[in-house]
Amino acid sequence: MARKLLMLMHEMNERLQQESAKELLQFDVVLITTDSQQQQQSSSIISSTKHHGLEISRFCFANEEDFVESLQTNNVQLFLTSDKSEASQATQKGVLSALLDHQEASPPSDQLRIMFCEDAIIQPDTGPTPANREAIQGFAAQLGEIRRRFSLADSPLCFILVTAHGSKDSCASSLLTLRSSGISVDEAYCLAGAPRDPIMPLLQPHFTIRISFSDLEE
Amino acid sequence: MSEIKPIESAPTEDSAEETDWAAAKAFFDSLKTEKPRPPKPRYAVTIAVSSRTLFNMVEERKIYEEEGLEKYVAHQVEHESEPLKPGAAFPFVKALMTVNTRLRALYPDSEELFDIVLMTNNHAQVGVRLINSINHYDLTIERFCMTGGKSPIGYLKAYMTNLYLSKDSEKVTEAIEEGIAAATMFMPDTETQLSDTQLRVAFDGDAVLFSDESEIIVKKHGLDTFFQHEKQFENKPLAQGPLKCFLEALGKLQRKFYAKNERMNCPIRTFLVTARSAASSGARVLKTLRSWGLEIDEALFLAGAPKGPLLQKIRPHIFFDDQMFHIEGAKELGTISAHVPYGIGQKYNRGKLIEQPEKKE
Repeated sequence: MARKLLMLMHEMNERLQQESAKELLQFDVVLITTDSQQQQQSSSIISSTKHHGLEISRFCFANEEDFVESLQTNNVQLFLTSDKSEASQATQKGVLSALLDHQEASPPSDQLRIMFCEDAIIQPDTGPTPANREAIQGFAAQLGEIRRRFSLADSPLCFILVTAHGSKDSCASSLLTLRSSGISVDEAYCLAGAPRDPIMPLLQPHFTIRISFSDLEE
Repeated sequence: MSEIKPIESAPTEDSAEETDWAAAKAFFDSLKTEKPRPPKPRYAVTIAVSSRTLFNMVEERKIYEEEGLEKYVAHQVEHESEPLKPGAAFPFVKALMTVNTRLRALYPDSEELFDIVLMTNNHAQVGVRLINSINHYDLTIERFCMTGGKSPIGYLKAYMTNLYLSKDSEKVTEAIEEGIAAATMFMPDTETQLSDTQLRVAFDGDAVLFSDESEIIVKKHGLDTFFQHEKQFENKPLAQGPLKCFLEALGKLQRKFYAKNERMNCPIRTFLVTARSAASSGARVLKTLRSWGLEIDEALFLAGAPKGPLLQKIRPHIFFDDQMFHIEGAKELGTISAHVPYGIGQKYNRGKLIEQPEKKE
Protein backbone atom coordinates (compact mmCIF):
# COMPACT_ATOMS: atom_id res chain seq x y z
CA MET A 1 0.00 0.00 0.00
CA ALA A 2 2.63 2.50 1.05
CA ARG A 3 4.81 1.29 -1.77
CA LYS A 4 2.21 2.22 -4.39
CA LEU A 5 1.92 5.60 -2.74
CA LEU A 6 5.64 6.20 -3.03
CA MET A 7 5.64 5.20 -6.65
CA LEU A 8 2.81 7.59 -7.33
CA MET A 9 4.63 10.44 -5.65
CA HIS A 10 7.75 9.64 -7.61
CA GLU A 11 5.78 9.75 -10.84
CA MET A 12 4.27 13.04 -9.84
CA ASN A 13 7.69 14.47 -9.11
CA GLU A 14 8.79 13.42 -12.56
CA ARG A 15 5.80 15.08 -14.15
CA LEU A 16 6.34 18.24 -12.17
CA GLN A 17 9.93 18.23 -13.37
CA GLN A 18 8.72 17.84 -16.93
CA GLU A 19 6.40 20.80 -16.63
CA SER A 20 9.17 23.06 -15.51
CA ALA A 21 12.85 22.37 -15.13
CA LYS A 22 13.10 24.91 -12.35
CA GLU A 23 10.40 23.19 -10.32
CA LEU A 24 11.08 23.60 -6.65
CA LEU A 25 7.97 21.92 -5.34
CA GLN A 26 8.41 18.21 -4.99
CA PHE A 27 7.25 15.37 -2.84
CA ASP A 28 10.00 14.52 -0.45
CA VAL A 29 9.66 11.22 1.36
CA VAL A 30 11.18 10.37 4.70
CA LEU A 31 10.98 6.84 6.07
CA ILE A 32 10.79 6.66 9.84
CA THR A 33 10.68 3.64 12.04
CA THR A 34 10.53 3.17 15.79
CA ASP A 35 10.64 -0.59 15.76
CA SER A 36 13.90 -1.55 17.40
CA GLN A 37 14.12 -4.85 15.58
CA GLN A 38 13.81 -3.06 12.30
CA GLN A 39 16.49 -0.63 13.36
CA GLN A 40 18.96 -3.44 13.83
CA GLN A 41 18.27 -4.40 10.27
CA SER A 42 18.68 -0.82 9.10
CA SER A 43 21.02 -1.62 6.26
CA SER A 44 18.67 -4.22 4.89
CA ILE A 45 15.77 -1.77 5.00
CA ILE A 46 17.74 0.79 3.04
CA SER A 47 18.85 -1.68 0.43
CA SER A 48 15.37 -3.13 0.24
CA THR A 49 13.86 0.24 -0.62
CA LYS A 50 16.50 0.78 -3.28
CA HIS A 51 15.78 -2.66 -4.64
CA HIS A 52 12.10 -1.84 -5.06
CA GLY A 53 12.95 1.43 -6.77
CA LEU A 54 11.42 3.55 -4.03
CA GLU A 55 12.65 7.13 -3.85
CA ILE A 56 13.31 7.89 -0.22
CA SER A 57 15.43 10.88 0.56
CA ARG A 58 16.06 10.30 4.24
CA PHE A 59 15.95 7.45 6.73
CA CYS A 60 15.23 8.09 10.34
CA PHE A 61 15.53 5.65 13.20
CA ALA A 62 13.95 6.86 16.38
CA ASN A 63 12.47 5.41 19.51
CA GLU A 64 8.84 5.57 20.57
CA GLU A 65 9.24 8.45 22.99
CA ASP A 66 10.93 10.94 20.74
CA PHE A 67 9.91 10.01 17.20
CA VAL A 68 7.70 13.08 17.04
CA GLU A 69 10.75 15.24 17.67
CA SER A 70 12.43 13.51 14.73
CA LEU A 71 9.40 14.38 12.62
CA GLN A 72 9.70 17.96 13.68
CA THR A 73 13.45 18.24 13.09
CA ASN A 74 12.96 16.80 9.65
CA ASN A 75 10.25 19.41 8.90
CA VAL A 76 7.74 16.70 8.13
CA GLN A 77 4.50 18.26 6.95
CA LEU A 78 2.45 15.06 6.75
CA PHE A 79 3.02 11.88 8.72
CA LEU A 80 1.50 8.72 7.24
CA THR A 81 1.16 5.65 9.40
CA SER A 82 -1.10 2.68 9.97
CA ASP A 83 -0.61 2.95 13.72
CA LYS A 84 -3.42 4.89 15.40
CA SER A 85 -1.56 5.79 18.55
CA GLU A 86 1.48 7.07 16.66
CA ALA A 87 -0.80 9.24 14.57
CA SER A 88 -2.51 10.60 17.68
CA GLN A 89 0.79 11.39 19.36
CA ALA A 90 2.04 13.25 16.33
CA THR A 91 -1.15 15.28 16.00
CA GLN A 92 -1.04 16.25 19.65
CA LYS A 93 2.40 17.77 19.13
CA GLY A 94 1.25 19.65 16.05
CA VAL A 95 2.34 17.37 13.19
CA LEU A 96 -0.45 16.70 10.70
CA SER A 97 -1.10 12.95 10.49
CA ALA A 98 -3.14 10.60 8.38
CA LEU A 99 -3.89 6.92 8.70
CA LEU A 100 -3.10 4.43 5.98
CA ASP A 101 -5.97 1.98 6.10
CA HIS A 102 -6.05 -1.51 4.75
CA GLN A 103 -8.83 -1.37 2.20
CA GLU A 104 -10.45 -4.06 0.13
CA ALA A 105 -10.73 -1.89 -2.94
CA SER A 106 -7.22 -0.95 -4.00
CA PRO A 107 -6.92 2.64 -5.09
CA PRO A 108 -5.90 3.47 -8.66
CA SER A 109 -2.23 3.42 -9.55
CA ASP A 110 -2.36 6.34 -11.95
CA GLN A 111 -3.79 8.97 -9.65
CA LEU A 112 -2.96 9.93 -6.08
CA ARG A 113 -6.28 10.45 -4.31
CA ILE A 114 -6.22 12.40 -1.07
CA MET A 115 -9.41 12.52 0.94
CA PHE A 116 -10.41 15.16 3.47
CA CYS A 117 -13.11 13.78 5.72
CA GLU A 118 -15.29 15.68 8.18
CA ASP A 119 -17.32 13.85 10.82
CA ALA A 120 -19.64 15.51 13.28
CA ILE A 121 -18.80 13.10 16.08
CA ILE A 122 -15.29 12.44 17.24
CA GLN A 123 -14.79 8.87 18.29
CA PRO A 124 -11.82 8.67 20.67
CA ASP A 125 -10.44 5.39 19.41
CA THR A 126 -10.41 5.96 15.69
CA GLY A 127 -7.13 7.78 15.40
CA PRO A 128 -5.75 11.30 15.52
CA THR A 129 -8.00 14.22 16.40
CA PRO A 130 -9.22 15.97 13.29
CA ALA A 131 -7.19 18.89 12.03
CA ASN A 132 -8.57 22.37 12.12
CA ARG A 133 -7.84 25.10 9.64
CA GLU A 134 -4.57 26.26 11.18
CA ALA A 135 -3.17 22.75 11.35
CA ILE A 136 -3.41 22.16 7.62
CA GLN A 137 -2.46 25.68 6.60
CA GLY A 138 1.15 25.31 5.41
CA PHE A 139 0.71 21.83 4.01
CA ALA A 140 -2.48 22.79 2.17
CA ALA A 141 -0.93 25.78 0.47
CA GLN A 142 1.94 23.76 -0.99
CA LEU A 143 -0.18 20.75 -1.85
CA GLY A 144 -2.68 22.99 -3.62
CA GLU A 145 0.17 24.59 -5.53
CA ILE A 146 1.30 21.17 -6.78
CA ARG A 147 -2.26 20.39 -7.89
CA ARG A 148 -2.42 23.61 -9.87
CA ARG A 149 0.52 22.50 -12.01
CA PHE A 150 -1.79 19.91 -13.53
CA SER A 151 -5.00 20.38 -15.50
CA LEU A 152 -8.52 19.86 -14.16
CA ALA A 153 -9.09 16.63 -16.05
CA ASP A 154 -6.60 13.70 -16.12
CA SER A 155 -4.62 14.93 -13.18
CA PRO A 156 -2.26 12.56 -11.32
CA LEU A 157 -3.42 14.22 -8.09
CA CYS A 158 -7.03 14.43 -6.90
CA PHE A 159 -8.62 15.96 -3.80
CA ILE A 160 -11.83 14.59 -2.36
CA LEU A 161 -14.00 16.12 0.36
CA VAL A 162 -16.47 13.96 2.26
CA THR A 163 -18.74 15.24 5.01
CA ALA A 164 -20.34 12.33 6.78
CA HIS A 165 -22.95 13.94 9.00
CA GLY A 166 -23.23 17.67 8.37
CA SER A 167 -25.69 19.50 6.16
CA LYS A 168 -24.93 20.66 2.64
CA ASP A 169 -24.16 24.11 3.99
CA SER A 170 -21.49 22.78 6.33
CA CYS A 171 -20.02 20.85 3.39
CA ALA A 172 -20.08 23.99 1.25
CA SER A 173 -18.38 25.92 4.02
CA SER A 174 -15.61 23.29 4.30
CA LEU A 175 -15.21 23.47 0.52
CA LEU A 176 -14.68 27.21 0.76
CA THR A 177 -12.37 26.93 3.76
CA LEU A 178 -10.19 24.44 1.87
CA ARG A 179 -10.28 26.71 -1.14
CA SER A 180 -9.03 29.66 0.86
CA SER A 181 -6.29 27.45 2.33
CA GLY A 182 -5.13 26.77 -1.21
CA ILE A 183 -6.82 23.44 -1.91
CA SER A 184 -9.29 23.34 -4.79
CA VAL A 185 -11.29 20.18 -4.14
CA ASP A 186 -12.09 18.06 -7.22
CA GLU A 187 -14.81 15.78 -5.87
CA ALA A 188 -17.24 16.46 -3.03
CA TYR A 189 -19.71 14.16 -1.32
CA CYS A 190 -22.20 15.18 1.34
CA LEU A 191 -23.62 12.09 2.98
CA ALA A 192 -25.77 13.84 5.61
CA GLY A 193 -26.07 10.66 7.62
CA ALA A 194 -26.35 8.19 4.74
CA PRO A 195 -24.34 5.03 5.50
CA ARG A 196 -20.74 5.46 4.45
CA ASP A 197 -19.86 1.81 3.86
CA PRO A 198 -21.35 1.57 0.36
CA ILE A 199 -19.76 4.87 -0.70
CA MET A 200 -16.21 4.64 0.67
CA PRO A 201 -15.01 1.78 -1.56
CA LEU A 202 -16.05 3.84 -4.58
CA LEU A 203 -13.96 6.82 -3.52
CA GLN A 204 -10.69 4.85 -3.34
CA PRO A 205 -8.53 7.30 -1.40
CA HIS A 206 -4.89 6.46 -0.75
CA PHE A 207 -5.17 8.12 2.63
CA THR A 208 -7.55 10.30 4.59
CA ILE A 209 -6.89 13.52 6.46
CA ARG A 210 -9.58 14.08 9.04
CA ILE A 211 -10.64 17.67 9.38
CA SER A 212 -12.93 19.65 11.59
CA PHE A 213 -13.57 23.19 10.45
CA SER A 214 -16.97 24.00 11.86
CA ASP A 215 -17.79 24.72 15.47
CA LEU A 216 -20.26 22.08 16.45
CA GLU A 217 -21.14 23.51 19.85
CA GLU A 218 -23.58 26.39 19.53
CA MET B 1 -35.15 -4.40 -11.67
CA SER B 2 -34.55 -2.19 -8.65
CA GLU B 3 -36.21 -3.64 -5.62
CA ILE B 4 -38.54 -1.78 -3.32
CA LYS B 5 -36.93 -1.10 0.04
CA PRO B 6 -38.04 -2.98 3.17
CA ILE B 7 -40.33 -1.39 5.71
CA GLU B 8 -39.10 -3.40 8.67
CA SER B 9 -35.60 -2.63 9.85
CA ALA B 10 -33.07 -5.29 8.90
CA PRO B 11 -31.54 -6.50 12.17
CA THR B 12 -28.33 -7.66 10.54
CA GLU B 13 -27.29 -4.16 9.39
CA ASP B 14 -24.17 -3.06 11.21
CA SER B 15 -23.99 -0.44 13.93
CA ALA B 16 -21.75 1.75 11.76
CA GLU B 17 -24.82 2.71 9.76
CA GLU B 18 -26.69 3.50 12.95
CA THR B 19 -23.80 5.57 14.31
CA ASP B 20 -23.62 7.65 11.13
CA TRP B 21 -27.37 8.09 11.22
CA ALA B 22 -27.44 9.11 14.88
CA ALA B 23 -24.61 11.60 14.36
CA ALA B 24 -26.39 13.27 11.45
CA LYS B 25 -29.63 13.38 13.40
CA ALA B 26 -27.84 15.05 16.31
CA PHE B 27 -26.22 17.56 13.95
CA PHE B 28 -29.51 18.55 12.33
CA ASP B 29 -31.32 18.70 15.65
CA SER B 30 -28.69 21.12 16.91
CA LEU B 31 -29.16 23.50 14.01
CA LYS B 32 -31.07 26.59 14.92
CA THR B 33 -33.14 26.60 11.72
CA GLU B 34 -36.44 24.82 11.21
CA LYS B 35 -34.82 22.88 8.38
CA PRO B 36 -36.12 19.29 8.18
CA ARG B 37 -33.37 16.71 8.30
CA PRO B 38 -32.95 14.23 5.44
CA PRO B 39 -34.64 10.83 5.87
CA LYS B 40 -32.86 7.55 6.45
CA PRO B 41 -31.97 6.27 2.98
CA ARG B 42 -33.05 2.71 3.75
CA TYR B 43 -36.69 3.75 4.12
CA ALA B 44 -36.85 6.74 1.82
CA VAL B 45 -37.81 6.97 -1.83
CA THR B 46 -34.56 8.33 -3.21
CA ILE B 47 -34.70 10.52 -6.30
CA ALA B 48 -31.34 11.45 -7.83
CA VAL B 49 -31.31 14.49 -10.10
CA SER B 50 -28.45 15.77 -12.19
CA SER B 51 -27.42 19.43 -12.10
CA ARG B 52 -28.63 20.06 -15.65
CA THR B 53 -32.10 18.70 -14.96
CA LEU B 54 -32.48 20.61 -11.71
CA PHE B 55 -31.21 23.87 -13.18
CA ASN B 56 -31.12 25.37 -16.63
CA MET B 57 -27.44 25.26 -17.53
CA VAL B 58 -27.78 25.55 -21.30
CA GLU B 59 -25.62 28.68 -21.58
CA GLU B 60 -22.99 27.31 -19.26
CA ARG B 61 -22.95 24.07 -21.20
CA LYS B 62 -22.16 26.04 -24.35
CA ILE B 63 -19.11 27.50 -22.65
CA TYR B 64 -17.97 23.99 -21.74
CA GLU B 65 -18.44 22.71 -25.27
CA GLU B 66 -16.91 25.70 -27.03
CA GLU B 67 -14.17 26.79 -24.63
CA GLY B 68 -13.29 23.69 -22.60
CA LEU B 69 -13.41 22.51 -19.00
CA GLU B 70 -11.08 25.05 -17.39
CA LYS B 71 -12.96 28.08 -18.81
CA TYR B 72 -16.28 26.50 -17.87
CA VAL B 73 -15.27 25.93 -14.24
CA ALA B 74 -13.74 29.41 -14.02
CA HIS B 75 -16.97 30.91 -15.35
CA GLN B 76 -19.08 29.03 -12.81
CA VAL B 77 -16.81 30.07 -9.95
CA GLU B 78 -16.90 33.69 -11.08
CA HIS B 79 -20.69 33.65 -11.08
CA GLU B 80 -21.15 31.43 -8.08
CA SER B 81 -23.29 33.88 -6.13
CA GLU B 82 -25.73 34.18 -9.03
CA PRO B 83 -28.47 31.55 -8.74
CA LEU B 84 -29.12 29.39 -11.79
CA LYS B 85 -32.53 29.32 -13.47
CA PRO B 86 -34.86 26.36 -12.84
CA GLY B 87 -34.51 23.30 -15.09
CA ALA B 88 -36.86 20.56 -16.33
CA ALA B 89 -36.87 18.62 -13.06
CA PHE B 90 -37.41 21.70 -10.88
CA PRO B 91 -41.24 21.55 -10.73
CA PHE B 92 -41.05 17.82 -10.04
CA VAL B 93 -38.66 18.42 -7.13
CA LYS B 94 -40.92 21.15 -5.68
CA ALA B 95 -43.87 18.77 -5.91
CA LEU B 96 -41.89 16.08 -4.06
CA MET B 97 -41.20 18.60 -1.31
CA THR B 98 -44.93 19.36 -1.04
CA VAL B 99 -45.68 15.67 -0.53
CA ASN B 100 -42.96 15.47 2.13
CA THR B 101 -44.52 18.36 4.04
CA ARG B 102 -47.88 16.59 4.07
CA LEU B 103 -46.25 13.29 5.09
CA ARG B 104 -44.33 14.90 7.93
CA ALA B 105 -47.52 16.49 9.22
CA LEU B 106 -49.32 13.14 9.31
CA TYR B 107 -46.38 10.93 10.33
CA PRO B 108 -43.87 13.08 12.24
CA ASP B 109 -41.56 10.19 13.14
CA SER B 110 -41.54 8.32 9.86
CA GLU B 111 -38.50 8.05 7.57
CA GLU B 112 -40.69 7.06 4.63
CA LEU B 113 -40.30 10.26 2.67
CA PHE B 114 -38.84 11.44 -0.60
CA ASP B 115 -35.10 11.97 -0.40
CA ILE B 116 -33.73 14.19 -3.16
CA VAL B 117 -30.04 13.77 -3.97
CA LEU B 118 -28.01 15.90 -6.37
CA MET B 119 -25.97 13.50 -8.49
CA THR B 120 -23.64 15.35 -10.83
CA ASN B 121 -20.31 14.69 -12.47
CA ASN B 122 -19.53 18.37 -12.26
CA HIS B 123 -16.31 19.48 -10.60
CA ALA B 124 -16.71 20.27 -6.90
CA GLN B 125 -15.80 23.93 -7.44
CA VAL B 126 -18.89 24.28 -9.65
CA GLY B 127 -20.73 22.74 -6.73
CA VAL B 128 -20.58 25.98 -4.76
CA ARG B 129 -22.81 27.67 -7.33
CA LEU B 130 -25.14 24.66 -7.31
CA ILE B 131 -25.44 24.76 -3.52
CA ASN B 132 -26.04 28.51 -3.56
CA SER B 133 -28.77 28.03 -6.15
CA ILE B 134 -30.38 25.26 -4.08
CA ASN B 135 -30.44 27.63 -1.11
CA HIS B 136 -31.82 30.47 -3.19
CA TYR B 137 -34.91 28.43 -4.03
CA ASP B 138 -35.07 26.88 -0.56
CA LEU B 139 -34.99 23.34 -1.91
CA THR B 140 -34.62 20.53 0.62
CA ILE B 141 -31.66 18.79 -0.93
CA GLU B 142 -29.05 17.84 1.64
CA ARG B 143 -27.18 15.00 -0.02
CA PHE B 144 -25.02 15.31 -3.06
CA CYS B 145 -22.27 13.61 -5.06
CA MET B 146 -20.04 15.80 -7.21
CA THR B 147 -17.89 13.28 -8.92
CA GLY B 148 -15.54 15.61 -10.79
CA GLY B 149 -15.91 13.69 -14.05
CA LYS B 150 -16.39 10.12 -12.88
CA SER B 151 -19.50 8.11 -13.75
CA PRO B 152 -22.25 8.45 -11.12
CA ILE B 153 -23.61 4.93 -11.64
CA GLY B 154 -21.79 3.35 -8.69
CA TYR B 155 -23.01 6.13 -6.41
CA LEU B 156 -26.59 5.67 -7.58
CA LYS B 157 -26.49 2.16 -6.26
CA ALA B 158 -24.73 3.17 -3.07
CA TYR B 159 -27.48 5.70 -2.32
CA MET B 160 -30.19 3.09 -3.01
CA THR B 161 -31.65 5.28 -5.73
CA ASN B 162 -35.26 4.67 -6.75
CA LEU B 163 -35.24 7.08 -9.72
CA TYR B 164 -32.46 8.86 -11.60
CA LEU B 165 -33.10 11.87 -13.84
CA SER B 166 -30.43 13.23 -16.16
CA LYS B 167 -29.95 15.07 -19.44
CA ASP B 168 -27.35 12.54 -20.53
CA SER B 169 -28.99 9.60 -22.28
CA GLU B 170 -25.85 7.47 -22.04
CA LYS B 171 -25.83 7.67 -18.26
CA VAL B 172 -29.55 6.97 -18.16
CA THR B 173 -29.15 3.91 -20.37
CA GLU B 174 -26.35 2.66 -18.16
CA ALA B 175 -28.51 3.13 -15.07
CA ILE B 176 -31.40 1.19 -16.59
CA GLU B 177 -29.04 -1.61 -17.53
CA GLU B 178 -27.98 -1.71 -13.88
CA GLY B 179 -31.61 -2.07 -12.82
CA ILE B 180 -32.18 1.51 -11.67
CA ALA B 181 -35.30 3.36 -12.90
CA ALA B 182 -34.03 6.27 -14.95
CA ALA B 183 -35.10 8.72 -17.64
CA THR B 184 -33.67 11.51 -19.79
CA MET B 185 -35.44 14.79 -19.14
CA PHE B 186 -36.63 17.31 -21.70
CA MET B 187 -37.65 20.90 -21.13
CA PRO B 188 -41.08 21.63 -22.68
CA ASP B 189 -41.34 24.19 -25.47
CA THR B 190 -43.94 26.22 -23.61
CA GLU B 191 -44.55 26.72 -19.92
CA THR B 192 -47.59 25.17 -18.29
CA GLN B 193 -49.23 26.04 -15.01
CA LEU B 194 -48.79 23.04 -12.71
CA SER B 195 -50.41 22.07 -9.42
CA ASP B 196 -48.55 23.18 -6.31
CA THR B 197 -50.56 20.97 -3.97
CA GLN B 198 -50.44 17.63 -5.77
CA LEU B 199 -47.62 15.61 -7.37
CA ARG B 200 -48.91 14.34 -10.73
CA VAL B 201 -46.94 11.59 -12.51
CA ALA B 202 -47.87 10.13 -15.90
CA PHE B 203 -46.55 6.85 -17.28
CA ASP B 204 -46.67 5.20 -20.66
CA GLY B 205 -47.47 1.49 -20.37
CA ASP B 206 -45.41 -0.72 -22.64
CA ALA B 207 -41.64 -0.60 -22.16
CA VAL B 208 -42.05 1.79 -19.23
CA LEU B 209 -44.24 0.15 -16.59
CA PHE B 210 -44.34 -3.12 -18.47
CA SER B 211 -41.69 -4.91 -20.49
CA ASP B 212 -41.47 -4.38 -24.24
CA GLU B 213 -42.73 -7.87 -25.07
CA SER B 214 -45.94 -6.61 -26.63
CA GLU B 215 -44.24 -3.80 -28.48
CA ILE B 216 -41.98 -6.32 -30.11
CA ILE B 217 -45.08 -8.05 -31.50
CA VAL B 218 -46.44 -4.79 -32.91
CA LYS B 219 -43.15 -3.89 -34.55
CA LYS B 220 -42.48 -7.32 -35.99
CA HIS B 221 -45.96 -8.60 -36.80
CA GLY B 222 -48.27 -5.60 -36.90
CA LEU B 223 -51.29 -4.39 -34.98
CA ASP B 224 -53.75 -7.17 -35.79
CA THR B 225 -51.42 -9.85 -34.48
CA PHE B 226 -50.86 -7.65 -31.45
CA PHE B 227 -54.59 -7.43 -30.68
CA GLN B 228 -55.05 -11.18 -31.07
CA HIS B 229 -52.08 -11.86 -28.86
CA GLU B 230 -53.23 -9.54 -26.10
CA LYS B 231 -56.74 -11.00 -26.06
CA GLN B 232 -55.34 -14.49 -25.96
CA PHE B 233 -53.01 -13.71 -23.06
CA GLU B 234 -55.33 -11.33 -21.27
CA ASN B 235 -54.94 -13.16 -18.00
CA LYS B 236 -51.19 -13.60 -18.17
CA PRO B 237 -49.47 -10.66 -16.45
CA LEU B 238 -46.94 -8.75 -18.51
CA ALA B 239 -43.36 -8.73 -17.29
CA GLN B 240 -42.30 -5.61 -15.42
CA GLY B 241 -40.62 -2.63 -17.01
CA PRO B 242 -37.97 -0.20 -15.70
CA LEU B 243 -40.39 2.22 -14.01
CA LYS B 244 -42.59 -0.36 -12.30
CA CYS B 245 -40.73 -0.11 -9.01
CA PHE B 246 -41.06 3.66 -8.99
CA LEU B 247 -44.82 3.39 -9.41
CA GLU B 248 -44.76 0.91 -6.57
CA ALA B 249 -42.86 3.36 -4.36
CA LEU B 250 -45.44 6.08 -5.13
CA GLY B 251 -48.23 3.65 -4.30
CA LYS B 252 -46.67 2.89 -0.93
CA LEU B 253 -46.67 6.57 -0.03
CA GLN B 254 -50.22 7.02 -1.35
CA ARG B 255 -51.45 4.30 0.99
CA LYS B 256 -50.07 6.26 3.93
CA PHE B 257 -52.50 9.04 3.06
CA TYR B 258 -55.38 6.62 2.59
CA ALA B 259 -54.67 5.17 6.02
CA LYS B 260 -55.31 8.61 7.49
CA ASN B 261 -58.53 9.12 5.55
CA GLU B 262 -56.91 11.47 3.05
CA ARG B 263 -57.82 9.61 -0.14
CA MET B 264 -59.90 12.52 -1.42
CA ASN B 265 -57.10 14.90 -0.68
CA CYS B 266 -54.10 12.77 -1.61
CA PRO B 267 -51.14 14.85 -2.81
CA ILE B 268 -49.96 12.12 -5.20
CA ARG B 269 -51.88 11.20 -8.35
CA THR B 270 -50.72 8.71 -10.99
CA PHE B 271 -51.80 8.38 -14.63
CA LEU B 272 -51.38 5.70 -17.26
CA VAL B 273 -51.33 7.20 -20.75
CA THR B 274 -51.12 4.41 -23.30
CA ALA B 275 -51.60 4.07 -27.03
CA ARG B 276 -53.40 0.79 -26.38
CA SER B 277 -57.14 0.75 -26.85
CA ALA B 278 -59.41 -0.21 -23.97
CA ALA B 279 -61.46 -2.71 -25.89
CA SER B 280 -58.84 -4.82 -27.57
CA SER B 281 -55.72 -4.66 -25.43
CA GLY B 282 -56.56 -2.67 -22.33
CA ALA B 283 -57.73 -5.50 -20.11
CA ARG B 284 -54.35 -7.18 -19.94
CA VAL B 285 -52.74 -4.01 -18.68
CA LEU B 286 -55.26 -3.46 -15.90
CA LYS B 287 -55.11 -7.10 -14.88
CA THR B 288 -51.32 -6.99 -14.78
CA LEU B 289 -51.39 -4.00 -12.44
CA ARG B 290 -53.92 -5.73 -10.24
CA SER B 291 -51.77 -8.88 -10.11
CA TRP B 292 -48.86 -6.73 -8.91
CA GLY B 293 -51.01 -5.20 -6.21
CA LEU B 294 -50.56 -1.77 -7.73
CA GLU B 295 -53.15 0.90 -8.28
CA ILE B 296 -53.07 3.65 -10.84
CA ASP B 297 -55.46 6.54 -10.31
CA GLU B 298 -56.41 7.21 -13.94
CA ALA B 299 -55.89 4.95 -16.96
CA LEU B 300 -56.26 6.62 -20.33
CA PHE B 301 -56.42 4.44 -23.44
CA LEU B 302 -55.79 6.48 -26.57
CA ALA B 303 -56.12 3.75 -29.22
CA GLY B 304 -53.32 5.37 -31.16
CA ALA B 305 -54.42 9.00 -30.84
CA PRO B 306 -51.65 11.51 -30.08
CA LYS B 307 -50.77 11.88 -26.40
CA GLY B 308 -49.88 15.58 -26.46
CA PRO B 309 -53.37 17.13 -26.16
CA LEU B 310 -54.44 14.76 -23.42
CA LEU B 311 -51.27 15.42 -21.41
CA GLN B 312 -51.95 19.13 -21.77
CA LYS B 313 -55.13 18.55 -19.79
CA ILE B 314 -53.50 16.28 -17.22
CA ARG B 315 -50.56 18.63 -16.53
CA PRO B 316 -48.20 16.14 -14.94
CA HIS B 317 -44.98 17.21 -13.24
CA ILE B 318 -43.32 14.48 -15.28
CA PHE B 319 -44.37 12.13 -18.10
CA PHE B 320 -42.40 8.94 -18.81
CA ASP B 321 -42.41 7.36 -22.26
CA ASP B 322 -40.04 5.06 -24.15
CA GLN B 323 -40.63 6.48 -27.62
CA MET B 324 -39.08 9.80 -28.67
CA PHE B 325 -42.03 10.36 -31.00
CA HIS B 326 -44.37 10.67 -28.01
CA ILE B 327 -41.83 12.70 -26.03
CA GLU B 328 -41.56 15.24 -28.82
CA GLY B 329 -45.32 15.46 -29.17
CA ALA B 330 -45.75 16.02 -25.44
CA LYS B 331 -42.94 18.56 -25.28
CA GLU B 332 -44.44 20.65 -28.07
CA LEU B 333 -47.61 21.10 -26.12
CA GLY B 334 -45.94 22.05 -22.83
CA THR B 335 -45.58 18.77 -20.96
CA ILE B 336 -42.36 18.03 -19.03
CA SER B 337 -41.26 14.74 -20.58
CA ALA B 338 -38.77 12.09 -19.64
CA HIS B 339 -37.52 9.51 -22.12
CA VAL B 340 -36.97 5.96 -20.90
CA PRO B 341 -34.39 4.42 -23.26
CA TYR B 342 -35.53 0.83 -22.93
CA GLY B 343 -36.69 -1.89 -25.23
CA ILE B 344 -37.31 -2.30 -28.90
CA GLY B 345 -38.74 1.20 -29.29
CA GLN B 346 -35.18 2.56 -29.30
CA LYS B 347 -34.45 0.94 -32.61
CA TYR B 348 -37.36 2.63 -34.35
CA ASN B 349 -38.16 6.19 -35.31
CA ARG B 350 -41.82 6.91 -36.07
CA GLY B 351 -42.49 3.29 -36.90
CA LYS B 352 -39.50 2.78 -39.18
CA LEU B 353 -36.48 0.73 -38.26
CA ILE B 354 -33.47 2.99 -37.78
CA GLU B 355 -30.37 1.89 -39.64
CA GLN B 356 -27.81 1.78 -36.87
CA PRO B 357 -24.07 1.57 -37.50
CA GLU B 358 -22.31 -0.96 -35.31
CA LYS B 359 -21.81 0.60 -31.89
CA LYS B 360 -18.11 1.23 -31.27
CA GLU B 361 -16.93 0.02 -27.86
